[in-house]
Amino acid sequence: MELIDQSGLGRMAVAVFAPAALGALTLAMPRRWVLPRVGFAALGMLAALLALLSAFAGGVGAGTGIALAPTLGLSVTFNPDALGAFFGMLVSGIGFLIVIYARGYFGPDAASLFRFYPTLGLFATAMMGLVLTDDLIGMLIFWELTSLSSFLLIGWDRDNPRAVRLALQALATTGLGGMALLGGLVALGLSTGSWTFAGVNAALASGEAGIAGPIFVLALVLVFLGGATKSAQWPFHYWLPGAMAAPTPVSAYLHSATMVKAGVYLFARLYPGLSAVSWWGPLLVIVGAATMLWAAHVALRSHELKRIFAYTTVSQLGLLTCAYGLGSWSHHDEANLVWPVAQILNHALYKAPLFMMAGAIMHVTGRKLLPDLRGLARSHALYAAVLLVAAYAMAGGPLTLSFIAKEAFLYQTTHAAKESAWIWAVAIAAVLTAAFNVAIFVRILTTFLARAAVETEHAPERGLWGAALWVPAALLVSLQLVGGLATGVLGEVLRPVETHALYFERLPSLLDAITHPSLPLAMSGAAIALGVAIGLSPLWRRAWEDPHNRLFPAADRALERLGWLSLSRLQHGNFRVYAALCFAALLFGIAGAVFYRPELASLPRIASLSEAGFAASAAAVITTVLICASALMMPFVRSRVNRVLMLGATGMAVTMMYLLYQAPDLVLTQLMFELIAIMLFLLVLRMLPEEPKNVAHGGRLGRAVIGGAVGLVIGFLVLHVAETPDFKPGIRLGDWFLTHSYDGLADTDGRGGGGLNVVNVILVDHRGYDTLGEVTVLGITALAVLSLIGSAPARKLRALVSRGLGGVPEQFHPDDPRSVNIGPQPTLHSSLFTIAMRLILPLALIFAGYVFFKGHNAPGGGFIAGLTASVALAVFRMAAGPDALKKLIPIKPAPMAAIGLAVALASAVWPLAIGDAFMRSYHDIVELPGGGSYHWASVMLFDFGVLTVVVAVSVGIINRLTEEIET
Amino acid sequence: MTLLLAICVACVLSVSVYLMLGRELKEVAMGVFLFSHAAHLGIIAMSGQPVAQVAAGAAGLQTPPVLGAGAAPPVDPLPQALILTSIVISFAVTAYLLSLLVVTYRRTASLWIDDLAREDRPAQPRHAAGEPDKEAA
Repeated sequence: MELIDQSGLGRMAVAVFAPAALGALTLAMPRRWVLPRVGFAALGMLAALLALLSAFAGGVGAGTGIALAPTLGLSVTFNPDALGAFFGMLVSGIGFLIVIYARGYFGPDAASLFRFYPTLGLFATAMMGLVLTDDLIGMLIFWELTSLSSFLLIGWDRDNPRAVRLALQALATTGLGGMALLGGLVALGLSTGSWTFAGVNAALASGEAGIAGPIFVLALVLVFLGGATKSAQWPFHYWLPGAMAAPTPVSAYLHSATMVKAGVYLFARLYPGLSAVSWWGPLLVIVGAATMLWAAHVALRSHELKRIFAYTTVSQLGLLTCAYGLGSWSHHDEANLVWPVAQILNHALYKAPLFMMAGAIMHVTGRKLLPDLRGLARSHALYAAVLLVAAYAMAGGPLTLSFIAKEAFLYQTTHAAKESAWIWAVAIAAVLTAAFNVAIFVRILTTFLARAAVETEHAPERGLWGAALWVPAALLVSLQLVGGLATGVLGEVLRPVETHALYFERLPSLLDAITHPSLPLAMSGAAIALGVAIGLSPLWRRAWEDPHNRLFPAADRALERLGWLSLSRLQHGNFRVYAALCFAALLFGIAGAVFYRPELASLPRIASLSEAGFAASAAAVITTVLICASALMMPFVRSRVNRVLMLGATGMAVTMMYLLYQAPDLVLTQLMFELIAIMLFLLVLRMLPEEPKNVAHGGRLGRAVIGGAVGLVIGFLVLHVAETPDFKPGIRLGDWFLTHSYDGLADTDGRGGGGLNVVNVILVDHRGYDTLGEVTVLGITALAVLSLIGSAPARKLRALVSRGLGGVPEQFHPDDPRSVNIGPQPTLHSSLFTIAMRLILPLALIFAGYVFFKGHNAPGGGFIAGLTASVALAVFRMAAGPDALKKLIPIKPAPMAAIGLAVALASAVWPLAIGDAFMRSYHDIVELPGGGSYHWASVMLFDFGVLTVVVAVSVGIINRLTEEIET
Repeated sequence: MTLLLAICVACVLSVSVYLMLGRELKEVAMGVFLFSHAAHLGIIAMSGQPVAQVAAGAAGLQTPPVLGAGAAPPVDPLPQALILTSIVISFAVTAYLLSLLVVTYRRTASLWIDDLAREDRPAQPRHAAGEPDKEAA
């Protein structure tokens, strides 16, 4: 990271981060303090304003900031140029006044202020960052922060479900716009190669960036959507009236003067580049004009004061958007923009006071509907007066800055209309909008001046804070009058921040307008006349709802319905449906693969059966028949025990197939494993109930079809893959293992596995890490099974206790876990079995030992030895009972498995201690005392650990299951 | 012989899927068990034909992968090692699955999948967006 320009960075950092920092500091204050809170919050705003002024006046240049990733062009830079500085001053200046007003509005209610100032500070920082940052991604981050803090502020009344709902609506709309903006800005950044606004504008204006076509159009549409949602353009304007659920300081700050202008700011920032795009201007004009007219119309038909002002805000935002669109119709190579900054400032100067006074009136009289405020001028003259002046400014009456701004806009419109005739419609819309604004003012005026009176419900505070309700508003509104009367002075003040002036070298005043009669003046006059007429007429006197308010709830409901439909269709909770869907997807995927590679569907070359000689091929055919027959008979077998035995038969037949395929290790393993698995199945079947005899045979055909389809397809794939002609000997991985099993070659420095049984060497040496994981899985499974099926003595105790409380049935039922047989334990005793096992067990254990020791050089190994021992021990346990097993193996299964794992891990790790590699094996030949030699290898220790784990797991599980049956 | 193996895979897999779509959990457990058999047969098919040309004209089976066992070249050892690992893991899976069956039965007194599904249905959501916002009266 490097600092780009250190001197300005400090000031810019204060300008951006002071409000949030000082707001956060107020969190640390004790709750009761009110004045210090207000002071800190106000100081934050003031500090930001002064720092910005100092930076702007001091000529802090573009690109002040921190370079995060210079090669990628990513940095956090702040650029106080004219546009950014203007907005920044607007945000911090009005923010300062709002902090004061908020104290007046909330009263000395520390509980509200405690939360309010930090959130407001967060918003102010986000807004300052948005307008002052120069790079695209930084602006996006601040953009989203403003949406977030707006959400927090709209949903201020957290216990009011309506407020929360409306806050969610605003967040969803502006949030979606933010995502669109992300897409658009990233696309712009990637295609122009520049990640700052200045760079993007330059690239777009020069037209050399090579961006054209649908992606570019999409990017710009996305950017437009981002700005349009934030600035409440049609049809996304519905969220702004809903945001009036927020407390009035929030409405006055965010939703009139600052946040909603962010979209307009975006359009203004990108104006130099986007004005070169032919369709951008007309898009803004059309959407802006439609918004302008529609919102003004709805405002006229609303009754709630805040709602009226919300809709007029929407209307004015439409006007500003339209103004930036009109800029594309250039006048002698100059953009058709007439003092746009003055237009933006104008709106803030009358809208914030309007909201502030509406809030003050609501606070004092408890009423928010306009018809309820008849005669306000008689009872609350001060408030009514300030509001009326602000409303007069909204109407754009002469002697206000608003009149001048309106003239400027009308000038833009008429100029553009001379080039494109359809803009006359926009001009007419502007006149109508102005007329509606005048009508609103007339109605407010007549209502306030009526012969009635409004009671005070809640008197304002005495002294200074009581005045905080109206003084900030009066200050702002007086600037309107200053602008109207001393227009030149205001013009000079604005000149450093004004971006375009066209050929109005100074801001024209009322006198200028009157002495130079023109079409815009006539239009203004017509609008005023029309507005007065509409205002006094009985037209549109009843309250009316904007149908667009239904958009969001309807969309939300439709989405929920869609989600619910898909959930209820796909998530049955039924395992069969899921399994069927999975297999169907498998088939679908394979069908897709065949579609793209049709050669998969062709029949592969099938090797002739007689290649292997008659004996082998006959054996193979018989084995195949056995496997298929035992498998296919399973669905038709009724008794569940027989079904399990068929399962075992299939396993044995598969073992025969392994024998034919020359896999002796597999034969031994599969044989033993099959025995244990069938034992497990039978034990568990003993614990589960019988199936009822008459079961409806629904769905069998479907199951058979899916099963048959999956089997056939996979079988065909197996044939295809195995017979692929690419299978050349010499390039297969197996050949590497064959050559390195005993002695290595040059690539392993002559060190090999030291064993002749290649499969065993692979398992414990070459791929020993796999095996380590495998025995860990075994151990975990044992733990899981032992915990799931609780130990019998514990259950017996519980059952005894509950029997003492009278909850146990008298009869013993083997499947009922509550019933307990305290009498003599039934075991699987038969004396023949017991005696036979006493002879067989030692032989089996010796055989297991033999298999273990020869495993490295002949078929055998830890797994097979372990499984052999397990089968013998399991049968012994079932025959002789738990005590005999405990005498034979005094360790419990879980600790024994842990010991086995530890031994395996130790044997893998100990070569590290002598500076060799992980899992390194050493081997040698020793002479045995009785003649002959034995070839040992150090991995046998690892194998021993594996053996221990296998024995512990299998015997442990079977022991526990047998215990369950016996109790 | 690969054709025979493919036939075995097809049969065993069909029965396995048929059982996995069964109506009772016991059938599903048996289906899972068979699935591993089919998979193992499929893997061993990858080692190719266990046939070797020992001398001109005569053909015999290859030798098992133990060095020094015979004159013919040994078969591919790697699929066998992988299958061995898989056998052990499927043992663990089977044991766990069966104990899950026992616990399920004890908890719900039924092993019929449709009965179990009825306990699992998701609930219909309520609408969060509510009604369109109107002016406060």
